[in-house]
Amino acid sequence: MLMKTNNRNIVIIGAGMAGCKLAQSLVESGRPDIQVTLIGEEAKAGYNRIMLSPLLAKEITTKQINFVDMTALCSQGLRLITNDPAVQVSYKLKQIILASGVEVAFDEVVFATGSRASQLAQFPENIGNIHGFRNLNDVSILENINNDAQVVVIGGGLLGLEAAVGLVKRGLNVSLVHRAGHILNRQLDVAAAELLQAHLEALGIKFFLGHSPSKLTHEFAQDKKIVTGVTLEDGTHIECNTVVLATGITPEVSLAKSSGLLTKKAIVVNEYLQTSKAHTYAIGECTEFNGQTFGLVDPIWKQLEVLVSWLLNAKGAPSNQNPKFKIEHSPTKLKVSGVNLYSVGDIGKATDKNSIVLVDRTNSEYRKIIIDNGVIVAAILYGNISDGPWYFSLIQTKANVSHLMRNLIFGEAYCNSESVINHAA
Amino acid sequence: MNKPLNNCSTKTTCPYCGVGCGVEVSAKAVLSEVQVTAKGDASHPANFGKLCVKGSNLLQTLTPQGRLTQPFIQGKPVEWNEAIHTIAGKIKDVIAKHGPDAFAFYLSGQLLTEDYYVANKLAKGFIGTANVDTNSRLCMASAVVGYKRAFGSDTVPCNYEDLEQCDLLIMVGSNAAWTHPVLYQRIVAAKKNNPAMKVVVIDPRKTASCDVADLHLAISPGSDAALFNYLLNETDQNNALNIGYVKSNTEGFDQALEQAKPWTEQATASFCGVSEQELQCLSQWWCSTPKTVTLFSQGINQSATGVDKSNAIINCHLATGRIGQVGMGPFSITGQPNAMGGREVGGLANQLAAHMDFTTLGAIDRVKRYWQAPKMATQNGLKAVDLFKAIEAGDVKIVWIMATNPVVSLPDSAQVRRALKKCDLVIVSECYDKTDTTELADVLLPATGWSEKNGTVTNSERRISRQHSFEAPKGEAKHDWQAICDVAIAMGYSSEFSYQGVHEIFAEHAGLSAFENNGTRDFDIGHFSQISEKTYNEMKPVQWPVPIGKPEGTERMFENGQFFTHSGRANFVPINPQKPAEKLSNEFPLTLNTGRIRDQWHTMTRTGRTSKLMGHIEQPFIDISPQDAAHLSIVQLQIVEVVSQLGSVKLRANIRSTQKKGQVFAPIHWTDQFANNAVISNLINATVDPLSGQPESKFAQVVIRPVEKLLYGYCISQKKLNFDDAAYWCHVTLEQGAHTEFALQEASATSTELFEKAKSLLSAKNVDIEAGEWLVYSNPIENVARFSFVKDDVLIAAFYFAQHPMLPSTHWLREMVTSQSKIEQHQRLGLLAGKPSNGVDHGRIVCSCFNVGENQINDALEQGVKNLADLTRSLKCGSNCGSCLPELSDIIDSKTIEHA
Repeated sequence: MLMKTNNRNIVIIGAGMAGCKLAQSLVESGRPDIQVTLIGEEAKAGYNRIMLSPLLAKEITTKQINFVDMTALCSQGLRLITNDPAVQVSYKLKQIILASGVEVAFDEVVFATGSRASQLAQFPENIGNIHGFRNLNDVSILENINNDAQVVVIGGGLLGLEAAVGLVKRGLNVSLVHRAGHILNRQLDVAAAELLQAHLEALGIKFFLGHSPSKLTHEFAQDKKIVTGVTLEDGTHIECNTVVLATGITPEVSLAKSSGLLTKKAIVVNEYLQTSKAHTYAIGECTEFNGQTFGLVDPIWKQLEVLVSWLLNAKGAPSNQNPKFKIEHSPTKLKVSGVNLYSVGDIGKATDKNSIVLVDRTNSEYRKIIIDNGVIVAAILYGNISDGPWYFSLIQTKANVSHLMRNLIFGEAYCNSESVINHAA
Repeated sequence: MNKPLNNCSTKTTCPYCGVGCGVEVSAKAVLSEVQVTAKGDASHPANFGKLCVKGSNLLQTLTPQGRLTQPFIQGKPVEWNEAIHTIAGKIKDVIAKHGPDAFAFYLSGQLLTEDYYVANKLAKGFIGTANVDTNSRLCMASAVVGYKRAFGSDTVPCNYEDLEQCDLLIMVGSNAAWTHPVLYQRIVAAKKNNPAMKVVVIDPRKTASCDVADLHLAISPGSDAALFNYLLNETDQNNALNIGYVKSNTEGFDQALEQAKPWTEQATASFCGVSEQELQCLSQWWCSTPKTVTLFSQGINQSATGVDKSNAIINCHLATGRIGQVGMGPFSITGQPNAMGGREVGGLANQLAAHMDFTTLGAIDRVKRYWQAPKMATQNGLKAVDLFKAIEAGDVKIVWIMATNPVVSLPDSAQVRRALKKCDLVIVSECYDKTDTTELADVLLPATGWSEKNGTVTNSERRISRQHSFEAPKGEAKHDWQAICDVAIAMGYSSEFSYQGVHEIFAEHAGLSAFENNGTRDFDIGHFSQISEKTYNEMKPVQWPVPIGKPEGTERMFENGQFFTHSGRANFVPINPQKPAEKLSNEFPLTLNTGRIRDQWHTMTRTGRTSKLMGHIEQPFIDISPQDAAHLSIVQLQIVEVVSQLGSVKLRANIRSTQKKGQVFAPIHWTDQFANNAVISNLINATVDPLSGQPESKFAQVVIRPVEKLLYGYCISQKKLNFDDAAYWCHVTLEQGAHTEFALQEASATSTELFEKAKSLLSAKNVDIEAGEWLVYSNPIENVARFSFVKDDVLIAAFYFAQHPMLPSTHWLREMVTSQSKIEQHQRLGLLAGKPSNGVDHGRIVCSCFNVGENQINDALEQGVKNLADLTRSLKCGSNCGSCLPELSDIIDSKTIEHA
């Protein structure tokens, strides 16, 4: 058992992006009374999960994927445990037991267990050539498949697209299957999605949209089930020898559940990121707040601010002094294969009557702004996203843009120099 | 342009307004190209090297597109010979059956004196009709009659130097800043040199000419005569009469003063709608300033009582003896380059020839002998308005229209159209194949244009100048005098109409002016009656009279106080001021005034050919006061329907703070060739002055209705597209490509529907709409939709639609279409926004010479430029022709107010 000291022991379970960043904030606060311990199941901690695709495509190196400098943190006092997942939390003993049997004492514990690639219920288990695309291990598996492999990526969200791009850039034959009618359907409208799809098709990715896979065909090789193809609901059959599952993420809550935390879709937290258990907090993709779970970094960094403030400053019960976490429409900034995308607000509110649209296909430029009662409620930018933050600020401040309406779609520079001319004398 | 005839410089005169500026056209061989340039003739006494914006752009109007280059009969091309014989045969036939008055000429102040002379001679001496009238009827006929009543002759007493030498200049019914820009600039310069000089502008509107005014009297439309009766009365009251002059040199003073007596300050202020203080100021200046010139123009002449107004002015000058001396006189300035030349040959229905009338004792016989004419007309013919009525009535069966566009310019255009449709034979001599009038021609004759013509013109100060050709005639184009002579010869008058050259016509004309004259007639240019071709070609500008023995001509008339009346004294005419004929009513509550804009000439057949002159004002508009606009719920640039008893037009509303409540103003220029329904004459009653026959073109009672539920827009494209089904359209000339402004009835069209419309408009002109890229912007919240079609990075067409009439500036898009330049990556958003975000938009062009736009001017002002001189120095705007100087001052003033 690791030594218990007189310091407050804050233990973070999960060394993904949220956990590492939290550890960094706490350690760099320089507080002598706090001892931070970070427990990770992967061999490597502190890397940027968002960069897996360029890593797979060999556009960046493993060094460049580093996100938090763990070596520096350790020298500042962080206790880092890798390759050894936590398996049990004992509130009675105030300790956490790792898979290796090691016990880690805590005063306060933060769940940052993240999420896993969702599995498709209708698929048989124990298949050798179905992979996720969530971590460095997945990347190293995919890096090692044959150059002539036929890959089917299931899921046309960000993760699936990134996997597909990474694979196709390695020279593999990639098909992407997505159940919605257009890719990135939570972030993009049809028009923007079509532009992106055309761009990705030009890279060589083949798309099968609007249908879920209904079954996998397989054979046995060396006593292992091996997938040989994917059949879609409409009967289309795609032959393959590798499947990448990217149908979404499922919050990892098994440890929280067994530890007695209240969970629904994920670990339920309040506005201070407190869970149902005293001295227990959660952050990141494993959390659920007001019924909502999180998959993008922006709200998680907001959570981080709140939690850091709480952990560093809390005295007893929360007061008004403590920052609170609230859900905001934070913008989704994506870069898929060099194409910039910016999506903010509730794009589901778009109708023919309330959407200002600009299309320049050849120039790969697309903009859509959705207006409700003179106020921007959502925006999608494709290609040139430089005006994204400006639209975002207008959404946040609920500014009335009626007077800018004619030039709004052209961005801030145009709106600032609006001039209409009088044709007559 | 064709290759110039000679590789040197040609001195000629400008074909636009009555100032008659000298133009020097130079051709220079540069490598294999011949570069032709035109600039003001520094030696010409009218302009001393200056040119206005229209004159500066003369060469740009000489494009071959749309030139008429061969004769047509009923739309079929024919040889000249066939056309001439058809015309001659038909004239002989018709006059044999119906008498000589079944034939008529309708001529133009654009013609040269020699063209005019042979037309007048053929009609009045050989066909035997005085049905020779001209568009000058619309311009200065009232001034002619006014002069004749007062002086016994149609004599302009003054010259341009008088405008510079006077201490008080009263401009009445003249917006010289826009209509006679070079003369106006001379006035501005004179005022600068003589700070004591006062300028009074009398005009219902605050025009650009008010820029130089010390006093602007914004009188009620048509109330001018009362103002001059008031001045006559004041002259008497303030002991400012020149009693000696009145006694020795005039007649009828007492009756005229008697009529003027009731015009007290109070009565006049009420009649004219100005304050008593303003009248006092005018009176004080008038009574105390001997050197006074009254400059008047169409605002006086185009009235049902235009002659009386002229005489009300002249009365004041006679009462003070302010005539015939330096810096004094009643000065009628003509609109057209050769209205004066037409008057000199007698090319009007109420004149015979050479300043002789049918009523002049012995004149008919004298002219008959001089011409050796077989068939003299013996009495006045039909004046323009009556002429077209007689055509409709079937009394006149042949009309030969030359160098004018009566379907646009005469009042009650619908009647003119009906008349020409009904007429047996409409002959139209024109330079251009498509005008509103050529569309109604039976025989279309290709005429030579300005650059191809030789002859003389007379400007507003009686100065005869040579016009020289510097290009060969285009195609089969023929000089008008030649076409007339050919017809006369075909009719059997070969010895009387066989001229070896145009100089022979001029010599004959000069000979007639001197024939049995002996000082009895003002117009005498006998010095030229034997002129040789060589001397004619070397002729320098000279002011008539130029009698034998006085080759230097005559600067000023009536210096000796002798006039051409029987008694030798000038006549006062008692004046009873009248308001315009058409009365205000509830049904037509607004008073329409008409006029010109700075950069267009008449019906735009020439000035409408260059984008440089279109840049100033692009579309037909109506000025309306903010109060009337608010009352009628009209927004800026909205299309409005302007309706009079006679007809209606559709124009852009231009809400102007300087426009008086109850009054509106529209420019006269737009024709069916440029806009679908903007011919202002459609609204104008054919009411004429009973003495001069001049129509009251500056006055109509109208009602204005905003046209609702329109979708506004424009299209800028490589090819001109067809917007015939639009509620409103107007073509704006570009050097390359086409710009159409429009308003569609489909106010509720969706973006998708408009996209289809844009595609079908392009497809209709055989543009492959699949062979390029479409950029799309749709904004359903404001009903804005824009589509740009690009091929190989070049803009093919941009369609902008919006519910609101305020659209983005067209300047950058036009530049892209005209230059066909490659659209850069960073400019693409501009194809839908109207300009690239980092590009410079110069805004609406104010200075056409240097292409300086409103935005540049505003920028310069923002950067601390304080006055006109600095502005001109920094941007060059206004430093060439100066036509835009008033507007520049306005902009500076409005900025100063904003910052105050």
